[in-house]
Amino acid sequence: MAAGLAVSVSIAFAAGTQVYNPQTRQWIDYDRTKAYKYYKLHKQVPESFRKQVVKFRTAERPGTIIIDGNQHFLYLVQPGQQAIRYGIGVGRDGFGWAGIVRIGRTAEWPTWTPPSEMVARDTKAAKWANGMPGGPDNPLGARALYLYEGDNDTIYRIHGTPEPWTIGLDVSSGCIRMNNDDIVDLHSRIEVGAKVIVLMQGAALYKGV
Amino acid sequence: MTARRSFRRLILATTTVMLSVGAHAADLVIAMPNWSSGEATANILKVSLKKEFGLDADAVPMGTLIAFAGLNTGEVDIHPEVWLPNLDNLVKKYVTDAGTVAISPMGVPAWQGICATSVAADKYGIKNISDLSDPKKTASLDTDGDGKGEMWIGAETWSSTTIERIRANSYGYARTMRLLEMPEDVGMAAVDAAEATDRPMVFGCYAPHVVFKLHDIVRLTEPPFDAAKWKIVLPSEDPSSWLSKSSAAVGWDTAHYHIAYANALREKHPEVARFLDRIDFKPEEAIDMSYALQVERQDPYKFAEQWVAKNEDRVNGWAKP
Repeated sequence: MAAGLAVSVSIAFAAGTQVYNPQTRQWIDYDRTKAYKYYKLHKQVPESFRKQVVKFRTAERPGTIIIDGNQHFLYLVQPGQQAIRYGIGVGRDGFGWAGIVRIGRTAEWPTWTPPSEMVARDTKAAKWANGMPGGPDNPLGARALYLYEGDNDTIYRIHGTPEPWTIGLDVSSGCIRMNNDDIVDLHSRIEVGAKVIVLMQGAALYKGV
Repeated sequence: MTARRSFRRLILATTTVMLSVGAHAADLVIAMPNWSSGEATANILKVSLKKEFGLDADAVPMGTLIAFAGLNTGEVDIHPEVWLPNLDNLVKKYVTDAGTVAISPMGVPAWQGICATSVAADKYGIKNISDLSDPKKTASLDTDGDGKGEMWIGAETWSSTTIERIRANSYGYARTMRLLEMPEDVGMAAVDAAEATDRPMVFGCYAPHVVFKLHDIVRLTEPPFDAAKWKIVLPSEDPSSWLSKSSAAVGWDTAHYHIAYANALREKHPEVARFLDRIDFKPEEAIDMSYALQVERQDPYKFAEQWVAKNEDRVNGWAKP
């Protein structure tokens, strides 16, 4: 549901953020126009948002996911004080919450059901009131990881996207979006029950960048 | 530090399932806490007691309250980490009043305060508590664009978190910083993520703690503890005006943790009581113990065997008649 909102808001908002340049160790402004141009030119997102193994010193166990909405990174902790880092897109108003959850279930090419408010105001969404089957145009993308708090679905998901150039921006409405290749990769590496830590900085504070 | 840890440990004490300690043939029973330095110490004692005195000891997981009850009745012989002044009430009950439990005179000093990553200290000049009231410096800690920096001050459930809020108010940085309350794992993962990308971060912290070995962490300097300036009114005491009635613009008082043992041990095994009274772990050693178990996930018993082998002279010194 939260993911569904992403489709409409991504058209209306121009989100600004920053990209980390590992060579210069500097952060550079990154906005919607730059993101779109970059993707058109390179057919991929800037280097810092691509999947990569990074040094990551932590007391968390391998297999734990750490989401840093402010810097638009998702870390999957690996043995040997390393992590696989993926670029993510988050909500225009930030992720909206922080804390410790877990992967409650996962789905491949999930069905997307738009929320009723969206069905009421958007004729495109109305078409899918009973659910849009999974596929390349589906806003949830190739995989969805459903975040649970205890046994309860939080309604938040980590999911793929048909708009890969939006990785690194604050454009969705609370969910974590990743490129389809990345979410397929992450899905293949995690186990249901994996601990997910959502950090509280920046994007998590309802403010966005 | 103490308020927080005491809270956490009291919870542990009430929830940990006590294993049966009466059904085995070991010479001694060591209460084993479920935090990493306590677990390591319990195993170091187990290995040392065998090596020095040929005594078999069982390290049995149990919470602090149950351990003290066991020390009182003689079902438990040793507790490796008793925090003072956190557990002053238990010390009064069992050590002072009942006289059934003894506390080793050697304590490991523990510290609590505000920490900064080295980037925050070196690049943005945040080294003293007063720097948190300088908006030019705290702008570097702003992650949501509202002009205020953000800092994690502890978990919602810790009593120390309330005191950190009082301190922020008293020092004045409550105006320049947004104080965040979240479980410790979230706060520590935020430090990990900040360090991974060279971002500055400031946070509430305590030592011994593995964060000091995981990362290059700077403790902010501040005026030393002064009991006359430490005026804490907790929300439970005055729900509406605890903050305005409180004032604490000084550092935390130092806490210590000690080994405790059943007084009966002085007669049953006087050599063991003497040994325990001499053990002098250092805060850095406690960090190493926590790191080995919590980060490297070493087996506690194997770690203890290596520790005792590496510190053989010292352990022998503790055991000397």
